[in-house]
Amino acid sequence: MRLLNWTRRFSRRGFLAGGAATIAAVAATGGTVLADSQAGSLAEAGRLTSEELRALLKFTCDLFPHDRLDDSFYARAIAPLQDEAAKDAPTRRLLAGGVAQLDRLAMAASGKPFADVADEKTRVAVIKQIDGSAFFTKVYGDAIVGLYNQPEVWPKFGYEGPSSALGGYLHRGFSDIDWL
Amino acid sequence: MPAKFDLNDSSVVVIIGSGAGGGTLANELARKGISSVVLEAGKRIEITDFKNDEDGMFGLFTWLDPRTTSGSWYVAKTSPDLPVWICKLVGGTTIHWGACALRFQEHEFKPRTRYGAIAGANLLDWPIDLKEMEPYYDRAELKMGVTGTHGIPLLPASSHGKVLFAGAKKMGYTKFQTTNMAINSVPRDGRASCQQTGFCVQGCTFGAKWSTLYTEIPAAEATGKTEIRPESQVLHIEHDASGKVTGVVYADSKGALQRQKARIVAVAGNSIESPRLLLNSSSSKFPQGLANSSGQVGKNYMRHMTSTVFAIFDKPVHMYRGTAQSGIVMDEARLDTKRGFVGGYQMELLPQGLPSFAQNIVPGAWGRDRASIIDSYANIAGVWLIGEDLPRETNRITLHPQRKDKFGLPIPNVHSDDHPNDLAMQKHAFAQADALYTSIGAKRTVHRLPFPSTHNMGTNRMSEKPQDGVVNRYGQSHDIKNLFVSDGSQFTSSGGENPTLTIVALAIRQAEYIADQMAHSAI
Repeated sequence: MRLLNWTRRFSRRGFLAGGAATIAAVAATGGTVLADSQAGSLAEAGRLTSEELRALLKFTCDLFPHDRLDDSFYARAIAPLQDEAAKDAPTRRLLAGGVAQLDRLAMAASGKPFADVADEKTRVAVIKQIDGSAFFTKVYGDAIVGLYNQPEVWPKFGYEGPSSALGGYLHRGFSDIDWL
Repeated sequence: MPAKFDLNDSSVVVIIGSGAGGGTLANELARKGISSVVLEAGKRIEITDFKNDEDGMFGLFTWLDPRTTSGSWYVAKTSPDLPVWICKLVGGTTIHWGACALRFQEHEFKPRTRYGAIAGANLLDWPIDLKEMEPYYDRAELKMGVTGTHGIPLLPASSHGKVLFAGAKKMGYTKFQTTNMAINSVPRDGRASCQQTGFCVQGCTFGAKWSTLYTEIPAAEATGKTEIRPESQVLHIEHDASGKVTGVVYADSKGALQRQKARIVAVAGNSIESPRLLLNSSSSKFPQGLANSSGQVGKNYMRHMTSTVFAIFDKPVHMYRGTAQSGIVMDEARLDTKRGFVGGYQMELLPQGLPSFAQNIVPGAWGRDRASIIDSYANIAGVWLIGEDLPRETNRITLHPQRKDKFGLPIPNVHSDDHPNDLAMQKHAFAQADALYTSIGAKRTVHRLPFPSTHNMGTNRMSEKPQDGVVNRYGQSHDIKNLFVSDGSQFTSSGGENPTLTIVALAIRQAEYIADQMAHSAI
């Protein structure tokens, strides 16, 4: 059976419709975890603060925790939220308020702000308390689209994406299953 | 070349919608020398505009005008603003359809007789039967190039299909094969054969799948008898003092209102918009809406019992490779009330690309368990369970009491409650699909309740008696002789089969009747 190259490298071709600064910041991480200083750069131009962003990123990772994806994919997934917050005050308030609530609940549970809680179970318990809130629904709905629509994400899950330009799968293993 | 008709030309047939019903009717009428103007709400794009892009094509072709939902059905919870997934483009939902082309079974035309009276259901026999439909099914299959019929070879099985068939064999099933598909298995009718791209429902980039966009519609235009007007959304059907329809008012691409006169009006806007248009066309003479003396317009909305089982294996399946829905098990489609329900269901392949799969597999879920399902994407097989659901008067399309669209007309509300029979069938289907995949080593199965409906039927149903339904055996309104319904809203019952082949067969038959009635000056 024709198998995929699971180690295909992260491509930097721009996918997001988000701001150029955001894409540059994501690309600059080179597929590694965002450092605080870089997260901070995302917050310039009056967007979410670096601390808020860091919490939002952690929250998104916990919603869709795939060990095979590094943080850069999640940063891309939430970049449109930052853009929207920069333009739209209610969105800004919703996101900042949601992060503040995550931090409050995390402080109560473990004495640390949400993004600094190392234990995943503790963070999950915090998230359960806000499941269904307007903040949760907004981030969930936007990030689930932003995460899985990245063509760079697809090969990580064994999905090959568009096939027409390659002639479909007629001569590329559409029926070559060999384990039945 | 395409015709161009004057707005005041009252000799034309006005067809509202250009999908399986409307597009086919236009071509069939044109073959008989009958002129028509097809008013299509959506834009006209071509095959070259299709992309292997799930979200992009969704945004391009989906009917996204506002709709609301109510009732206990799952879709009202998970997709309250998008109860159905149908298209707004020239070609209608034949751009999106999976191309399973199955005939109804004999008993499915006579559910009231064969199933008996069932509490909470508004069962009625069709005024026609399978024998009467067979010649039209033949013509529809030849027109569409349905594999496995009339000597047209079946498509080859994909890996995804082979998984389904291996499980079916273990279950002792005998009726499984690549499905009868309106997808060319060999070049035919000037169109290419299937290249196994896997993006059937995003629009077939090779044109191997039958769609009225590049078959019926250009064929009709070539006769010089048909004019397609895209971006023309019909708002009202008008009538004269005698009650005969005289034309339609529509909004053109600039939003300006136009009035097209007509000798006959055929409504083919799918089972939400068609009844909505009849209801929105109420007048002092017809205060309940056009063709609605029975009060049945909008009622008996059917959407099939549908659910999906995704099975996780230890080894790769790559379900996205190959003709999407080509693989079927038909053993459970029989009528066998010992299973605890009337009607039957088909088991049809349902692959999804990673974006759709990941976004929809467990609505609202998050965390490690959900992520582990997505992590197994390459090793997953999917089967769609689609069966007959029962008509209920209370499952219906109504006009929203407050909300209006951009033209100031009430938007539709789609109400549906599952009948106990639908739920009993669903439970059985889940158990059988679980057993099928487990028999060949699936380590986990995931049940997915219905997606927004692609099969929409029954809201202007056919009946022998005028008091029981909206149209007669030819789709002709009981109340108004020159008003026809030409889409799946005519269906008296839903059957356990994908509706498109039957819609096309009915349109072929209706065109014959219209031509005959016109020749005899009866309409």
